[in-house]
Amino acid sequence: MAAAILASASLSAAFSPTNHASSSSAAVALSRTIFFGSSRFPVAVAKPEFGVALLRSKGGLRIHCQQEEQQQNLAVIPREQRWMFEESEINGPDIWNKTWYPKAADHISTEKTWYIVDATDKILGRLASTIAIHIRGKNLATYTPSVDMGAYVIVVNAEKVAVSGKKRNQKLYRRHSGRPGGMKVETFDQLQQRIPERIIEHAVRGMLPKGRLGRALFTHLKVYKGPDHPHVAQQPIPLPIRDKRIQVDK
Amino acid sequence: MNKDKIFKLAKGFRGRAKNCIRIARERVEKALQYSYRDRRNKKRDMRSLWIERINAGTRLHGVNYGNFMHGLMKENIQLNRKVLSELSMHEPYSFKALVDISRNAFPGNKIPKKDGSSIVA
Repeated sequence: MAAAILASASLSAAFSPTNHASSSSAAVALSRTIFFGSSRFPVAVAKPEFGVALLRSKGGLRIHCQQEEQQQNLAVIPREQRWMFEESEINGPDIWNKTWYPKAADHISTEKTWYIVDATDKILGRLASTIAIHIRGKNLATYTPSVDMGAYVIVVNAEKVAVSGKKRNQKLYRRHSGRPGGMKVETFDQLQQRIPERIIEHAVRGMLPKGRLGRALFTHLKVYKGPDHPHVAQQPIPLPIRDKRIQVDK
Repeated sequence: MNKDKIFKLAKGFRGRAKNCIRIARERVEKALQYSYRDRRNKKRDMRSLWIERINAGTRLHGVNYGNFMHGLMKENIQLNRKVLSELSMHEPYSFKALVDISRNAFPGNKIPKKDGSSIVA
């Protein structure tokens, strides 16, 4: 365009010793290069080049290059036509006045973190609480109550989970079949003999929200009886536990 | 005349509430009442969402929401919760600087020992 030609002329005029082969490529990517500010393009001088592709993804650290994009877009639309475009098309989406809501690209299941925790000699409730926080995503700054932003959690050695006091013989697990007289009662000990995974599942399910999203979150909990689990391919990392009283010292 | 307005407002309702005037009128009245109430509730819900996000963001740095806000009030930083929550998501370094300011002003939380946050792998 005329502007690019003008700037390339100024480029080649000011930069006499440089090779002319680079000036054409520089003219194409003019507004992105680190460059002494020519009067036509007021690009910020000291900004290093950021990847524009990193702009909208939420995983971890996000580099913000909105100012550069703004200059670029402003330079492209002539002033007479600026009324035809919306604010969001010129300047990019408004992130400071509208509360952020995650898009589909911000919570892809295959890119979520996987945590693993060993339940040996951990207090049941405290462990379940930490697990539920991580599954729900409440430890992330991008927490949204209506969207599943949490991680997956694997629990191994589920049969070795501990409870304090006399709960081992006195804590009751009840279920009802729906028919009259159909209440079944079991103690903690009996259930641990029968189906040990159910203890941790029951505890975590009580701490997750009840509803469609809660049921979907519950499927992100994987509990196993022994020390092995089939999720080695997901490369789970150890679950960060901040609770100091969670470990029972034998 | 009024029926057309009611049906226009009843678009997307379930079952007969979108087609039959007697039912639609009731449901539309209820919908308008809910929307009146929820315009006020939305402000509350948004604020609590910002507070939850700020809480999560500050806990990553070892400070909880209460102490963080107390430190900011002491330093007379008048950023509102909306902006703070957006900072915690989009500008992590700036947010860390704010958390440090708050911790200097009000050291309520002990910095957790960094020897290993996970007790048993």
